Amino acid sequence: MKFKSKHISITIFILFAAVPVLLGFGYALLYSFGLTGILSEGFTTEYWEKTLLATEFWKSLGFSLFIAAVVMTTSLFFSLWIVISWTKNLYKGLLSYVTYLPLAFPAIVMAFFSFQLLSKSGFISRVIFNLGWIDDLSQFPDWTNDAYGVAIIFSLCLLITPFFIILYSNLYQNERIPELKALAQTLGAKKNQITTRIIVPILLKKSAFTIMLFLIFVMGTYEIPLLLGRQDPSMLSVFIIQKLQKFNLADIPQAYAVSVIYILLIATLIAVVYKTRPAFFNPEKN
Amino acid sequence: MEPLLHIDNITKSFGSETVLHNVSFMLQEHEVLSVLGKSGSGKTTLLKILAGLEKEDDGTISLSRKRMNDTPPNKRNIVYLYQEPLLFPHLNVSENIAFGLKIRKQSPDVIKTKVEHMLAEIGLEEHAEKMPHQLSGGQRQRVSFARALIIEPKVLLLDEPFGALDAETRVQMQELFKKLSKKMKLTSIFITHDLKEALTMGDHIGKIELGHFKRYESKQDFYDDVDSGAQQEAAFWKQFN
Amino acid sequence: MKKALQILFILSIFFPIAFLLLLSLGRNWPYPELLPQSLSLENWEFLQKSDSKLLQTFFLSLGISILVATVTTALAFITSKHIALSKYRNKLMLLAYIPYVLSPVILAATLHFFFIYAGISGNVSGVLLAQFFIAYPFGVIILNNFWNHKTRAIEELSKTLGSSSWQTFKNVLLPISKNALLLCFFQTFLVSWFEFGLTNLIGVGSVQTLTVRVFSFVNEANIFYAALASCLLILPPMILIWINKRYIFATETVI
Repeated sequence: MKFKSKHISITIFILFAAVPVLLGFGYALLYSFGLTGILSEGFTTEYWEKTLLATEFWKSLGFSLFIAAVVMTTSLFFSLWIVISWTKNLYKGLLSYVTYLPLAFPAIVMAFFSFQLLSKSGFISRVIFNLGWIDDLSQFPDWTNDAYGVAIIFSLCLLITPFFIILYSNLYQNERIPELKALAQTLGAKKNQITTRIIVPILLKKSAFTIMLFLIFVMGTYEIPLLLGRQDPSMLSVFIIQKLQKFNLADIPQAYAVSVIYILLIATLIAVVYKTRPAFFNPEKN
Repeated sequence: MEPLLHIDNITKSFGSETVLHNVSFMLQEHEVLSVLGKSGSGKTTLLKILAGLEKEDDGTISLSRKRMNDTPPNKRNIVYLYQEPLLFPHLNVSENIAFGLKIRKQSPDVIKTKVEHMLAEIGLEEHAEKMPHQLSGGQRQRVSFARALIIEPKVLLLDEPFGALDAETRVQMQELFKKLSKKMKLTSIFITHDLKEALTMGDHIGKIELGHFKRYESKQDFYDDVDSGAQQEAAFWKQFN
Repeated sequence: MKKALQILFILSIFFPIAFLLLLSLGRNWPYPELLPQSLSLENWEFLQKSDSKLLQTFFLSLGISILVATVTTALAFITSKHIALSKYRNKLMLLAYIPYVLSPVILAATLHFFFIYAGISGNVSGVLLAQFFIAYPFGVIILNNFWNHKTRAIEELSKTLGSSSWQTFKNVLLPISKNALLLCFFQTFLVSWFEFGLTNLIGVGSVQTLTVRVFSFVNEANIFYAALASCLLILPPMILIWINKRYIFATETVI
């Protein structure tokens, strides 16, 4: 009886968690090699060649990596800074509640808000105009739909920083940093030595897995670059969906080729972590 | 006299590692058997098999001459107590103690009387309404005992029950256990790695090492066994005389 | 200085909320006016108008998210227990992490064909299933931590004290897992509530959840209605945070 229910439950898990990914991957693979779909004319590497030889895909991949790196660096910097300098205030009073509020913002709302704030006719542009710093809204810099993804980065940082603030303020207590700090002091460490050699390394090391997961999340983010980014370069998710929904049917297999690369990339990353740090997957060995 | 618990040739392996080699021994009714065992000796596996929480590969376990290898743990009436008290965090002291009686659907009046009696035995009447996290380590261990004793188990299995307590509390708990054990005529297996504790707590002594079990005929027997470590211990103290 | 920065920080968090609320009350906002003009509750009255469907949208979203969260939590509770007992625990958890980190919209793109084939593309059941595909592995990840050595020991103890499997489940496991279950419920609720790309793709625009409406209002350049729909989106999570911020944040699950 027990034996049975266990097997049913694990089968359900594999069916609903692993099989969809595999099916999707298989379909994308077949499509990208011309083996299925509207244009299917038998096996061809044409779409893969087109994808890999065009700069468009590499630009999109590079842009996604760039955004992910900038967003994570910025968010980590601010969250560490806030947690280390405001430690005591984060546990009680208004701050302890307010920090959680940004978690109530879905990405699409954050993107909409950022647009209304940063666009040429947005709130900041109006403030600057009223201050007399610009005479016309066209003088306001391009922060939305721009080449560097300024609004995308801003929006993602707004979403991610609060998460890391809460994570780090919890870790600060769990890892007994106040005690370690006192200990380091008695050993003769100065204030900024304690920060750079004790607090920051401990927090970063303890959150390494989370940081990696967020890098992957940011690379795959969709609604924020959809509303705030431009066509070229576009982030990976937007790139794929745009190719899928274009009128040019020949673009569809390319979209699937990129999907295959994306899924492989992520599965490889997770597998590498699994091989090198199996403890991340088993809480009892942490 | 007919033994209460009869363990015959119990063997257990995990993968290629054999943790119990043909373990056989008997336990008389109302007997407290101390078993000396270090971690990794197979002691926890043995107790878990007796409680029905692990399945043996081979051998038989009988209670009052009835084979019970296939009896599920909840039907055995053998309670296995861990080193940690493991109180149910969502229940207060009284509710924790009453747990086994409620499961057996005894009437509220009976439960109330029995719990009150048990609370008096362990000296925690004042703390009946407290939640587990409000108690000290020793108090928690008392509640854990009371919760097990109230269902009058046929056999009580104790896996280093006082290992996590400080020296003073440990002595208090040993005395409490001896008192209750006598009063309630308990049959129990008491595992410890402390030589002195083994000698004070048990009517008889056994030893488990690398999956091999040995039961000594008498405490003298135990002392005479060079491997038991009792002689070295005695020699150590003698040097101060 | 520190105090001033903290006040600035607090203001910067309340600013988006106030800004969106204000926009939702506006009618027009000509450049370079700082605030929208002709503020009134007229847009919010739009909610009540039966042809506006925004209130229906709200309840449709709520229904979908509650359903996804309930089914996910119940199933993930059982699954995660069996995974924890399995000797392949780490390998199975690896399988849970891949859909968890995969971009939902890309997963939807590769699976859309199968949804069309099954005839559930463009309707609520398709959206429910697709959201379940991403919420369920997440639920398993959240609850995985609950099944540790101590939980197992308590479960065994309950059995030796005489409880059957069902009694142990009802009297011990369920009560001690209450917090983990609530956390799982709220987290998976939010996954569904916040989801846009996958819902829009599998729903083909005909399953109008709140996020989909925000997007279409933005596309129609109707920023006032977009702000209104945004307010409706952030309201339930804020209430959840107000009830208990612990349920919304899963530190333990992701470390």
